[in-house]
Amino acid sequence: MKRERQETVVATETEDEKGKGRMEAEEDGGVDELLAALGYKIRSTDMADVAQKLEQLEMAMGSSAAANDDALLSHLASDAVHYNPSDLSTWVDTILSEFNAPSPPLPPPPLSPAPLQHHFDLPPAGTEQNSTITTVDVPSGPRCQADAYHLDPLHVPAVAGRIVYGSDTQSEVSPPSRDRKRMKLCSSPPSSSSTTDAATSPAALPVVVVDTQESGIRLVHALMACAEAVQQDNLKAADALVKQITVLATSQGGAMRKVAGYFAEALARRLYRPQPARNLGRSTLDFAAFDDMLHQYFYESCPYLKFAHFTANQAILEAFAGCRRVHVVDFGMREGLQWPALLQALALRPGGPPSFRLTGIGPPQPDHSDALQEVGWKLAQFADTIRVDFRYRGFVAASLADLEPYMLLGPDASDRDSEEEPEAVAVNSVFELHRLLARQGALEKVLGTIRAMRPRIVTVVEQEANHNGETFLERFTEALHYYSTMFDSLEGGVSAASDAAVGGGRRDQAMSEVYLGRQICNVVACEGADRTERHEALAQWRVRMGRAGFEPVPIGSNAFKQASMLLALFAGGDGYRVEEKDGSLTLGWHTRPLITTSAWRIASAAC
Amino acid sequence: MYNKTPGWLPRFASATAEGSMLPEEVGEEEGEEEEEGRKGRRRTGFSINDNVDLLAEILGRLDGRSLGVAGCVCRLWSAVGRKDSVWEAVCHRHAAGGGGATRSVVAALGGYRRLYRLCIGPALDRLAGSDGAGLSLSLSLSLSLFSIDCYERLGGRQQQQQQSASLLFLCKPVDVS
Repeated sequence: MKRERQETVVATETEDEKGKGRMEAEEDGGVDELLAALGYKIRSTDMADVAQKLEQLEMAMGSSAAANDDALLSHLASDAVHYNPSDLSTWVDTILSEFNAPSPPLPPPPLSPAPLQHHFDLPPAGTEQNSTITTVDVPSGPRCQADAYHLDPLHVPAVAGRIVYGSDTQSEVSPPSRDRKRMKLCSSPPSSSSTTDAATSPAALPVVVVDTQESGIRLVHALMACAEAVQQDNLKAADALVKQITVLATSQGGAMRKVAGYFAEALARRLYRPQPARNLGRSTLDFAAFDDMLHQYFYESCPYLKFAHFTANQAILEAFAGCRRVHVVDFGMREGLQWPALLQALALRPGGPPSFRLTGIGPPQPDHSDALQEVGWKLAQFADTIRVDFRYRGFVAASLADLEPYMLLGPDASDRDSEEEPEAVAVNSVFELHRLLARQGALEKVLGTIRAMRPRIVTVVEQEANHNGETFLERFTEALHYYSTMFDSLEGGVSAASDAAVGGGRRDQAMSEVYLGRQICNVVACEGADRTERHEALAQWRVRMGRAGFEPVPIGSNAFKQASMLLALFAGGDGYRVEEKDGSLTLGWHTRPLITTSAWRIASAAC
Repeated sequence: MYNKTPGWLPRFASATAEGSMLPEEVGEEEGEEEEEGRKGRRRTGFSINDNVDLLAEILGRLDGRSLGVAGCVCRLWSAVGRKDSVWEAVCHRHAAGGGGATRSVVAALGGYRRLYRLCIGPALDRLAGSDGAGLSLSLSLSLSLFSIDCYERLGGRQQQQQQSASLLFLCKPVDVS
């Protein structure tokens, strides 16, 4: 019924503009003649304004129904004072102000709706507009909806992510992007309204308040509220919110939906399985094999691991300059994909290759196959091809803390030392050290073991995020922001690369998402010794390494150039950024750093 | 003198196919060439096909795609076009870097022709497509990627043929629908 009224308003408005505009101005202080015949007194000058407010009113009522805000509607039905609608403009104003009184349970987002007013060139209609606009929904016109989704689906997760992270500082950032989004959206409707197509009524209105961002913001708020509820042990509320999150997530597209899905699942796990979930640890059969496969897909589809390998290799190569015997200890051997490139670079260095020894450390395989030896054999074959003297040793260890220095230095050390020059040792850890933080004292022990080997260089690659905060809510917030950005980058990479690609690219992306989803699950759902994904930012690692007696080694510009070149080769690579910060290199997506490679050596003062 | 577009190529091709003598070099008497080629001997009696080294030298100055096309001219050209030394010249022209030992290492890893096909070619295409912004491809990076690919293809002890996927990110997507 309301819509008809709006249609009438529009129809009469456009008609008026055509023929009878001049006549109206003279009558009764400019009251519109046709509407007056229906019983509604409204000034022609107010027409556009009232039309807009009616639209807002409809949005407010429509969206509150969608949010199951039964309280609001029943309030309107029973407690509301019914105003005389004949003075249409004041009626609409009062109804709108009534909508503000019972404000929605979620706190209003920090965005100011000022951008909205820029478009319509209407006189600012007063403050009651402000909070109402936050609940607007997508209008019925399917064309508008398609436009909204089509134009900027990728911006939604980015903005939503930022909202979570900052507080007020971010609100300056978001309105301009909202502005841009609204600018784009409104460019089409005004043209359609000029065609005076009154049949497609909402599309013809100059009031297009399309917003997928709104549901995105609500989704983020729901996630935060759920995390808070979990922290306060309010299981009922958390349960309800998890369900709401799942529903809201379906209204989103792309990265945001997937991230929300994983977080919702992790929260559900946390709620319904309080005892440590065994299959989130590294112990089961399926997990280990599946994990390796996922790792492989993650390696192929996005540049993070390649970046890690290339920058670490460059640092090791430079540290080994001039050494005739080198020994590399790899804390996470897996498939050994980092080492062919290093072997090749050593083979080509001026002065010829050194004699190379590799010690690989890996977790125990559930089916007792000797994966480490397989990898070693393959590398030996490769080294043989390019004529580099190569020796390999594999170590199976459930945790790095189980290692002792004498194991790693090996039997050769004692005989050879007297004859030839000592080995130059490099220790390499890619996404391994953070696991040690789950056990008290484990990291200190491992760092002590490393020190005992007297390495020339220790390369550490870690996620650039603090997912090891004191409170659950802190960790949740950080993780939400971090993984939103990661998923964004996956989205950007694949979509740019594959206009026609099916199968391969998407499968890689999907598998990489599962890989990240496991991490999310671990951060959110596990506690204590099971929570192994205890990422910490570079600043925190600096403190830890400093305490253990290491000092940073700056990673040179060669690594920077090579990394930049590598990223340029990835389709969709314009979102990736390599940055140098105090001698370490970080790879990030747009403005957010995601992983950091840093290099260390034993502090000279401590020797 | 030799640009990327091998505009002269078809004329060579047509002349060769008829088994008659080839005209010397590009840019000379283009209108007359075909006629004279068809008629038989030219003045000097020089045939590029008799001077394989010269042919290799010329072909080595092409870009990758043109060299591939040149390999379709005739069997001799195909054989010359497959020589790793020719591809070595092409690779060095497009990717900066490399020292003395490079040749043996690359040969061990599979050869320059393979290096170009798997790494340098796709990388150049990717850089040309996106905003290359003056980043020149370095040979060391290409070699690193190449070595990873070579490693992946190595069988394990079981000698199974491995699928190598580490370079997929470079390839243009192929519509397999």
